[in-house]
Amino acid sequence: MTSQAVRLFRKMDGLFAVYKPQGVHWKHVRDSIESNLLKALNSCPPPAPQLAVQFQLLSGGENSSSKDVVLSPSMVPTLADHPLVTGPQFHKVHVGVGHRLDAFSSGVLVLGVGKGNGVLEHLCKSHVTRDYTLEGEFGKATDNFTHTGRVIEKTTYDHVTLDKLERVLAMIQGANQKALIMYSQVDLHTQEAYELAVRGLLYPHGKSPPILTGLRCIHFNPPHFTLEVQCVNETQKYLRKLIHEVGLELRTSAVCSGVRRTRDGPFKVENALTRQHWTAGSIIQAIAHFSKATRKIRKSEMYKQTAGQLNSNAQVQEQTRSQTEQINQQHVELSSSTSDTVVDRETPVTLSEGRTKH
Amino acid sequence: MALVSIRSCGRCGFLLGLRAYATRPVGTPRKREQQDDTPVFQYVGQHRKPQGKVFVWGFSYTGALGIPSFVVPDSGRKKPRKYQLTPYRLDTEQKISSAACGYGFTLLACNSRDLTKLWGMGLNKDSQLGFQRTQHDRHKSYDYVLEPSPVSLPLVNPQETRVLQVSCGRAHSLVLTDSEGVFSMGNNAYGQCGRKIVEDEVYRFVFQQYKQHAVTHGLGHHSKASCPVPVGGDLAGVKVQQVATYGDCSLAVSTEGQVFGWGNSEYLQLASVTEATQMSSPRLLPLRGVGRVRQAACGGTQVAVLNEEGEVFVWGFGILGKGPKLSESAIPERVPATFFGRSEFNPTVKVSSIRCGLNHFAAITDRGELFVWGKNVRGCLGIGKHDDQYFPWRVTVPGHVTDVACGVDHMVALVKTII
Repeated sequence: MTSQAVRLFRKMDGLFAVYKPQGVHWKHVRDSIESNLLKALNSCPPPAPQLAVQFQLLSGGENSSSKDVVLSPSMVPTLADHPLVTGPQFHKVHVGVGHRLDAFSSGVLVLGVGKGNGVLEHLCKSHVTRDYTLEGEFGKATDNFTHTGRVIEKTTYDHVTLDKLERVLAMIQGANQKALIMYSQVDLHTQEAYELAVRGLLYPHGKSPPILTGLRCIHFNPPHFTLEVQCVNETQKYLRKLIHEVGLELRTSAVCSGVRRTRDGPFKVENALTRQHWTAGSIIQAIAHFSKATRKIRKSEMYKQTAGQLNSNAQVQEQTRSQTEQINQQHVELSSSTSDTVVDRETPVTLSEGRTKH
Repeated sequence: MALVSIRSCGRCGFLLGLRAYATRPVGTPRKREQQDDTPVFQYVGQHRKPQGKVFVWGFSYTGALGIPSFVVPDSGRKKPRKYQLTPYRLDTEQKISSAACGYGFTLLACNSRDLTKLWGMGLNKDSQLGFQRTQHDRHKSYDYVLEPSPVSLPLVNPQETRVLQVSCGRAHSLVLTDSEGVFSMGNNAYGQCGRKIVEDEVYRFVFQQYKQHAVTHGLGHHSKASCPVPVGGDLAGVKVQQVATYGDCSLAVSTEGQVFGWGNSEYLQLASVTEATQMSSPRLLPLRGVGRVRQAACGGTQVAVLNEEGEVFVWGFGILGKGPKLSESAIPERVPATFFGRSEFNPTVKVSSIRCGLNHFAAITDRGELFVWGKNVRGCLGIGKHDDQYFPWRVTVPGHVTDVACGVDHMVALVKTII
């Protein structure tokens, strides 16, 4: 018979997303989630204590005048399993963190519990893209690219218009599109490379510098502006530096006043848990909500490993690229009000089609 | 924060020896008094307009790039640079409005009324850059011009006439002015300069003016023609908006969007109308699936057209831009728009102009990006490597590309800055 605490513990296996507030180190978030889970596990009512037979010495009744000692058996609860004796049943819950967010940023932080930590590793290696919303402000340049740093220089920005900003963003995006193909580790002189490039499936595999796959301005109100970025293999410092470089291209200076991750692979900000919901019940619900996505990630990694033994390198790369596309497929919806239509990527090769290919 | 903590220490008494570390929580801005002292710099005024720049790349030993230090280094430690594999900025005194590349030479023209309207650099053995008088001998002309040097035109009104367009061939050049017709200079062995052919002519000092429109040969016979004559065939009576030629094949685009072709068809350029290898009079090309054609460009063995929707169609022989397998095609093949930057973030990108060199193509999109593909002859593609490019590849140019001129082994791009 499993106790309620053990049943609850077995449900804690999988991935879920949490909204990390700004100003908090990601480790504190992970620690508080772990302590909340442990609190819930250890506050479950303990099972009824085991009874053991104990022979107790009882003195004889009034009838016997002799000094006879009678042993009588009785069922007595043992103290070996008492929580005050053993201490709390659960000391540790394995909670892992996916792509980390530094203290200045906020947004979606993917955590894995129990068996989900293995899948978390696959998610990190699978080159999924992440969406960010960057708030910028023209007119200042600071030492750490944020609005809280030491001001190094102040410049005018009245010459900046939305038209010029969009031209600069188009140029940056062009350079990043080129980098996408250059780091895809495919020989560009082959017909397969051409086929992949036509379908837009050339993607950086292995080590690559941060590459932006999409960049747009969603709000412009000088000196403040907001950019929406879709990127792969990035750090938050790189994104703040991006804001600074946009300012330099426009012959002024800019600082970043906020970095907010709105999506990490298939985990979106609408489904991320806020601080009030960092309790065991909500977490288990969230794990159940993301179980489909988790299964897809696990499957794609298993497929990559088995396929690698059978096929040629280019075929494996193509199929893993299409797996990554599947994981990324849900999130191409553009969230801002300036987009007129929701444009989806062309449907990639599904798993079954991929298997019948060879 | 630091002040607050000292005050509380004061209440408890300094004897406690409390050291207050001034740690601010992350995310709170510093005090305002520190921010207002820094001076404000202005790098760009409010009404600054974008400037025009010229970028060159390719084979530099002929001097066609116009940078003398690539051929003759000015400092002892530098080495001569034979190939310039990425775009390099060329300093020009005036804003260049038109550029043309020939075989080993370049002409740049400025649309102004100044006395110097035309600059040339590169090979000058056939006087394709006019007479460039040497320093030592007044009757001799330079064979190689390493820097953009003024080309003097014998204009009647040099302070009123403007140069509209320049065009270069293998060893000759043509200059179109707004009121004084066309000027030609250079090699005339086949009558390409529009004047009478003189056997064994020495081309070093000759200049000829001719008052007709652009010279073509599609006259229905195979001998040389040394005077401009109107072209017949299917083109009789048709209003032509653009003519393109490079090697032996020519295309003309009418104002209705139809394409007429004549010339060499050895590489299936005109295979839609003829099986022969040559066609000496223009015929209408029935290109299926192309739509209204806006612009055509001819290369040595390949041909490209651009239609009204901004799609590029290529056919002929060589590296056509659809992978290494497609090396020959008799029917127009569309180059997929994903190569030109079309994606879900930019669904409306289209190509606004195409140009052809001898073995390569160049396309400019409406967002000001330059894409090249084809054979990389001596680094003429400008992509940073010597490898051939089998599908369109972006050239990194700092600015918006407005026009590009393709030569055999070098290219010139006219670029507008962003700010």
